[in-house]
Amino acid sequence: MNRRRVLRRRIVLAVLLLLSVALLTAYFRESDSGIAHGVQSGVLRAVGPLQSGTARVTKPFRDGWNWVGDLFSAKSQVKALKNEVQQLRAGLASELTTQAENDQLRALLDFQKDHVFPKDVDLVTARVIARTTSAWYSTVTISAGSSDGVDVYDPVINGQGLVGRITTVFANSAKVMLVTDQQSYIDSIVEPGGAQGIVSGSVTGDVTLEYVDKNEKVKVGQYIVTSGRDSSVFVRGIPIGQVESVGTQEVELYQSIAIKPWVDFRRLDIVQVVIR
Amino acid sequence: MTISRTARQTNERAWPTWAEVGRLAVVLLAAILLQTALAPHLRLLGAYPDFALIIVVCVALVKGSETGAVFGFLTGLISAIALMEPFGLSAFVFVLIGYLAGRYAETADLPAGVAPLLTVFIATLIAGVLLAMAQFLLAREVPLGFFFGRVLLPSLVLNTLLAAPIYLLVRVWLRGAGDLRAAAAR
Repeated sequence: MNRRRVLRRRIVLAVLLLLSVALLTAYFRESDSGIAHGVQSGVLRAVGPLQSGTARVTKPFRDGWNWVGDLFSAKSQVKALKNEVQQLRAGLASELTTQAENDQLRALLDFQKDHVFPKDVDLVTARVIARTTSAWYSTVTISAGSSDGVDVYDPVINGQGLVGRITTVFANSAKVMLVTDQQSYIDSIVEPGGAQGIVSGSVTGDVTLEYVDKNEKVKVGQYIVTSGRDSSVFVRGIPIGQVESVGTQEVELYQSIAIKPWVDFRRLDIVQVVIR
Repeated sequence: MTISRTARQTNERAWPTWAEVGRLAVVLLAAILLQTALAPHLRLLGAYPDFALIIVVCVALVKGSETGAVFGFLTGLISAIALMEPFGLSAFVFVLIGYLAGRYAETADLPAGVAPLLTVFIATLIAGVLLAMAQFLLAREVPLGFFFGRVLLPSLVLNTLLAAPIYLLVRVWLRGAGDLRAAAAR
């Protein structure tokens, strides 16, 4: 009897492990219209309203939690903001006396005129209904899918700027790869100036602008926007962030530019999908 | 009262009754909802709590290795569907975790107060390493400093802190409050 129980236990373990490996293999080998993806789509269609409802129900609790977190960080933020105001005032006074400031303002004005975002595109509004807690992926699930006109590679934005792009679409939901994901690459330009580069995420969540030629002059505080070039999946002029630091090493071919994204990725709630 | 007695008593029966399956289904639903709706918004110590993993361990400690493995498989599968993650990866890890935690409960004689903390700690360690290895195999970047400092260490602390209250709730739900009172009296 005891031997039979041990055997049964081992068989259960072996079957479940084999099933897991088979599912994993099938998932990666098949296309988006395969069986495993189909099952995922079907289940998501059924539980989508439940997830959406849960996200709404838990919103007051999440807001409360964030409020508590803000309280702890408020003191240091006030100090940092005071320093920033002082620096800005000093910087502004200095800049007002130079011709360079006029050039910069003119360039910024041109930027705003030329790259109004988003322009001549349709937008689908959706709610973030789930997000992965895995440290290895930066993705969220939104409550709009192919039935709303959403397609793979469509850019996703919110009031602050570029959130990411659609990677998988189901009927009533879609998966969004955030700008911070390590497999996210966005063809971008620095404004004003027009230096070109690729914005990429990382596993640590830091966002950098890569492949910017060493001869290009990039300064802290400049804007990074999507380039919208022919080969890019993004429309032109979607704001991504601001240059935080610029590092140049003699041995490197390109500059090392850290970016502070406009979007607060920890508090995504309502987003819009840019339908191309 | 030791943790092993609870799981060993369960393991002596053939399969869970329908009433037990119903209770396990409720725990499964709670695990999925906590993991998908609550965990993403509870960033503590730089990590997110892994409710699904903790609950799989707790169920395995109370119900034994077979139930733990099956429960782990279902939890991994459903959470992967809900979070649009690759099928089978979490399921594979959770099957192993559920089975090993269950076997540990069936064979070891640790005090019930220590066992959930220790098991969740080790389970988090195993799951973290397995998932990092999987990422490496999937050709994703896995910086060791980031993995140990900002993923594994915070997760170990956070999951271990949450283990005791969740274990208590799961045990009371699956075995009734009388079981706890009896354990305390012994």
